[in-house]
Amino acid sequence: MADNQQIEMVGMNRSAYLRVLAFFLAPAVLIYTLFSVYPLLATIFDSLYLRHEGGALTFNGLGNFQTLLTDETWSKPFWNALRNNLIFFIIHMCVQNPVGLALAALLSLKQLAFRNTYRTLIFMPTMLSVVIIGFIWQLILSPLWGIWKMGLNAVGLGVLFGPYLGQEHTALITISLISVWQFVGIPMILIYTALLAIPDELVDAATVDGLNQWQAFFHVKLPLIWPTIGLVSVLTFVANFNAFDLIYAMQGALAGPNFSTDIMGTLFYRTFFGNQLQLGDPTMGSTIATMMFVIILMGLLVYLYVIQRRIQRYSF
Amino acid sequence: MAQVSITSLQKSYGSVDVLKDINLEVEDGSFVVLVGPSGCGKSTLLRSIAGLEAVNGGAISIGGKRVNDLAPAKREIAMVFQSYALYPHMDVEKNMGFGLRFAGTPKQEVAARVAEAARILQLEALLKRRPRELSGGQRQRVAIGRAIVRKPQVFLFDEPLSNLDAALRVNTRVEIAKLHKLLGATIIYVTHDQVEAMTLADKIVVMNQGRIEQAGKPLDLYYRPANTFVANFIGSPAMNMVEIEVTGKNKARTLAGGELGVPLPARAKAGDRLTLGARPEHLTLGAPGKGLTGQLDLVERLGEVGYAHLDMAGGGRFIVEVRGDVKAKRGDKVGVVPDPAKLHLFDANGKACAS
Ligand SMILES: Nc1ncnc2c1ncn2[C@@H]1O[C@H](COP(=O)(O)OP(=O)(O)OP(=O)(O)O)[C@@H](O)[C@H]1O
Ligand SMILES: [Mg+2]
Repeated sequence: MADNQQIEMVGMNRSAYLRVLAFFLAPAVLIYTLFSVYPLLATIFDSLYLRHEGGALTFNGLGNFQTLLTDETWSKPFWNALRNNLIFFIIHMCVQNPVGLALAALLSLKQLAFRNTYRTLIFMPTMLSVVIIGFIWQLILSPLWGIWKMGLNAVGLGVLFGPYLGQEHTALITISLISVWQFVGIPMILIYTALLAIPDELVDAATVDGLNQWQAFFHVKLPLIWPTIGLVSVLTFVANFNAFDLIYAMQGALAGPNFSTDIMGTLFYRTFFGNQLQLGDPTMGSTIATMMFVIILMGLLVYLYVIQRRIQRYSF
Repeated sequence: MAQVSITSLQKSYGSVDVLKDINLEVEDGSFVVLVGPSGCGKSTLLRSIAGLEAVNGGAISIGGKRVNDLAPAKREIAMVFQSYALYPHMDVEKNMGFGLRFAGTPKQEVAARVAEAARILQLEALLKRRPRELSGGQRQRVAIGRAIVRKPQVFLFDEPLSNLDAALRVNTRVEIAKLHKLLGATIIYVTHDQVEAMTLADKIVVMNQGRIEQAGKPLDLYYRPANTFVANFIGSPAMNMVEIEVTGKNKARTLAGGELGVPLPARAKAGDRLTLGARPEHLTLGAPGKGLTGQLDLVERLGEVGYAHLDMAGGGRFIVEVRGDVKAKRGDKVGVVPDPAKLHLFDANGKACAS
């Protein structure tokens, strides 16, 4: 009924209408299918097979997943990567997003001079290539001639210096913080935009009600930007569990030292494509890729069905 | 004692002077309305009183106490904003009680005051709703409720009715007038709407370019405008004005040549240029050659009264109030006869001549 009305409204008969629909939808559907749906399905499909020496494939059901989760040779690296990935994510949530929020709050202060300059500078690293970021930070942190060491020495804190990227207990944190440094501009810009959308009169009303700037931020502005913070968190989650490039660029595919910076992305890379003595194993690689997909999917579902339903969006 | 007294107030943004030497006394319990063209500084004055803007000079005192350096919350004022500025994440009850709760007022007292305000404004049924679940008029009432709950010495309203439709505006205007009587509160109120100003105000303050042009009772402003700006601004349609040259005792002529008998001030000499002002209802149409001469352009009929628009000889347009039929047709020459007792005269600087 509604359909027919719509067709009448655009003044076409049914088949002409369908042709027009197809004409406009086809490019998007084709491209999306070719580059997103097909690879995803093929990956899931592959993960159900076992590859024998010589290349023959046999159906293995969920056997690969069982191997991945329980067989010592696979499960140890898997759980290690998952744990590291979680730490990577937690550091982003605890550092990148609060810092992004704080920067956004500072940027939205009217008294602040050079606001646009700060905004551009802070956003800049996000637009740089990861290879450049990795290279720059390796130079900065180099134990031989890095300026970090000189800087610490200059202020008398030389004892704090260590070969951060080369120690098992510091490498992951260091890499995480470099990634935070690179991407902090994104939460900042998203939250800054949300803050700008809050009318000034609302803050004026809070001021008349006796709140200072700081309190107005926590009691009035912050509750209004929870939806944006939720969105930033889920974007962080997806990006973190898909991360690969920074670690590959700085620590190599082996994600050293001793796999202490190994995350899902690097584990997948070594498994699927092979590395040094390890042969590439497409079906096991697909199994890991499918696990990554499932993990991200679960994260998204938690966001959509638990978090997003509790936070309310406001229009002004 | 004046409830709010403002002396030599100055405010500038950078090199732009927005308020220049404002002096204003607001009596206890009175309703003062600020009017003026857009950008003249009404909101800035209101926000300065509220403490939301720091001023560059002068003094503001509320209830006899100088408040220049007090935070807004300490000034015992409450403000109702044009956009209402309700907190979107709180229900009506929380919105109204927020300031008090924040100041650490005991729970029962907050609840009692909110209930009282809700009763006065008939918001009882809406207490658990969020602002977005309310209509414009309801939001407006909540905003007023939030102000009442604070029990301030002075209420500040910045164009509170401008977002409402015409019918609701009339209703709410009446509500605000009632509320003023009920609470006996001092109110300073900004509006663009002449009717609001004339009906609500004990005192109207006409502002222009950061200065107060005139302050006084509504009808005083209407009948005795201090200058051409006020004469033009108050009254709708606006006062008609024409430049005249004094030719003798109580005699003048318009620059287009029409002779007029007008009561002139004693010190007017022949050759002085003055501005003559006459409200539409103090003019009558007559035969051509009488009084001033004009050409009828159109007649607006509003029912009982109508307004005849004329192109005057020598330039300018006049609006004349007419009752009953107008014989003349479009393009006809007509005479415009002023009522000599109701004329206004302004000197070359636009100031009203004492008569
Ligand atoms: N933050 C600001 N920075 C610079 N100039 C400002 C600022 N706020 C207001 N002004 C200027 O001050 C003048 C007075 O503004 P104000 O808002 O008080 O006008 P208003 O009388 O309330 O006008 P309206 O009737 O349109 O609300 C305007 O010319 C405006 O451009
Ligand atoms: Mg204004």
